[in-house]
Amino acid sequence: MKSFLGSIRVRLTLLYSGVLFLVAAVLVASLYLGLSLSLRDEPVSHAVVVERVPVNDGSRTEERTLVDAQAFEQQVNARTLRNLRTFSLGGLAALFVASLAVGWVIAGRVLAPIAQITSVAREIQARELSRRIELDGPDDELKRLADTFDSMLARLDLAFASQRRFVADASHELRTPLAIIKANLDLALTDAQATEESRATAAAVIRRAIDRMARLTDDLLALARLDAPAAAREPVSLGAVLLDAREELSAAAKTRGVEVDAAAGPAGIVHGDRDVLKRAATNLLDNAIRLARSRVRLAHGELDGWAWLAVSDDGPGIASEHRESIFDRFWRADDGRARPGGGSGLGLAIVRQIAEAHRGSVEVYSEPGAGATFVIWLPRTAAGEAPAVDPTRAAALA
Amino acid sequence: MRVLVVEDEQDLAEAIATGLRREGYAVDLAHAGDEALVKARVYPYDLICLDLNLPALGGREVCRAIRSEERPDGAPQPRILMLTARAGVDDRIAGLDDGADDYLVKPFELGELAARARALLRRNGDGGPGPLRVGSLELDPARHEAAQAGAPLALTPKEFALLRYFMTRPGQALSEFELLTHVWDENANPLTRTVRVTVMTLRRKLAGNPIETVQGVGYRLREDT
Repeated sequence: MKSFLGSIRVRLTLLYSGVLFLVAAVLVASLYLGLSLSLRDEPVSHAVVVERVPVNDGSRTEERTLVDAQAFEQQVNARTLRNLRTFSLGGLAALFVASLAVGWVIAGRVLAPIAQITSVAREIQARELSRRIELDGPDDELKRLADTFDSMLARLDLAFASQRRFVADASHELRTPLAIIKANLDLALTDAQATEESRATAAAVIRRAIDRMARLTDDLLALARLDAPAAAREPVSLGAVLLDAREELSAAAKTRGVEVDAAAGPAGIVHGDRDVLKRAATNLLDNAIRLARSRVRLAHGELDGWAWLAVSDDGPGIASEHRESIFDRFWRADDGRARPGGGSGLGLAIVRQIAEAHRGSVEVYSEPGAGATFVIWLPRTAAGEAPAVDPTRAAALA
Repeated sequence: MRVLVVEDEQDLAEAIATGLRREGYAVDLAHAGDEALVKARVYPYDLICLDLNLPALGGREVCRAIRSEERPDGAPQPRILMLTARAGVDDRIAGLDDGADDYLVKPFELGELAARARALLRRNGDGGPGPLRVGSLELDPARHEAAQAGAPLALTPKEFALLRYFMTRPGQALSEFELLTHVWDENANPLTRTVRVTVMTLRRKLAGNPIETVQGVGYRLREDT
């Protein structure tokens, strides 16, 4: 019984025919009641029909009842009501049966798309998210439900695909230095005539490959940590963050002979995780030092409820068609050589993720040949979109 | 045997080249797809080790281009060994469908790379597995040993490579140019007499003068030595 009632189709049918039956019963009952009351209160005939009949010699007449109209009316009424009762009850019973059948059919038709949605949803496994329900029919509630479902599947599909690609890319990036290490070890260990010098070369190459793997695993770990929402929220000065980053990379800048200037500006206090924000600044500065010809400039400030920090280099710049993709994980320009200076390919992806985790954004302004400026916008009091201007230029104009 | 190694990672390319040179191959390097295609059009490589993930022109495109083109001097198609970090079955199928002869997933052992190179070059009709034998001469590419009538020969890597090329084509007249393009790499100067000199030193180490001069053509390894 319980499983029988567990079907929406059965419940809908019962509800539908029950309500219909109830309404019909009330209607019929009130008709019956009203009719019977009106018949009782307002008899059509007030009296008996009387005929004056001359008595004896006709000197007088005598009333004689021909028909007792009232009794007659009463009898007729009683019969009519009885018939009405019989027909009504019969009709009600027939209506109930018919409504059950009609209700069953209608409920089935209404619920058919749900059965379709259920069967597709059951068939879809996590690995095979390309299937869609693609419900046909008018734009009604169920169609919208199915469409919502489809768009959710599309988003999941996209997310899974990007996850798979990320894992494939990451393992690809790890395999290359592994191949270098293995090949050089093979060379150094199998050559009986290996000289001290060739061994030293192999060791240097292996060390480079290991450094690269270490950087990559660090960055992978950083990305994974950023996915967790447990970032600390404390007041952080972007100016101080930039100075920290500059200090951390001063040795690298010196090695490359790049000068790093920091412009003074308002403190730019935002709420966020100091270490994480410093990592974003360090990644930008690290890129800038690797690409700059001679000079890197740091700046920070506030604009329209936003705080910003900017890192500019005088390097080769970025072609306009690449300005979006450089923030993708493991992105590489098609015409590019191996990544300059052996970056992991995750640096800018991490920067963007950090900016977005702080409800901010990162923008790049560049002219090929004239260097690039990366700007991180973080909200102080503002919400929504960051100003679409290069603040280092805006400050110069103001 | 002349090999082109196409790999954009400088460190890896150098290591592969060193390993293959040690096996007696003449090895050229290319670090980008377009560069590889140019070299493959100019030199009649016997084997191309091709990385899939290349700048400028991807490995798959390079492979398809090489397969769809006539070779410079009517030479047979090179064997193509794909090297890649992508280990998925789909990637392997795609690579082989593009015309690759074999597939090696990074990271690999240099020993395995060398063994596959030997196997692929054997398929060129260079005889069965194991040592090559022509008359009393015996040469084992895997162990890098050569002997004449059971007595080991002390050969330099270049002499070894030259003898091997002769032994895979016994009885055929081979021109100096063919020897230069298959046994020497792109750094050899074609204006020097390097082929003639190496043939001479090799002849000196072999008894019975099995390598004879064919007037107007070049050299030939006698089959009845």
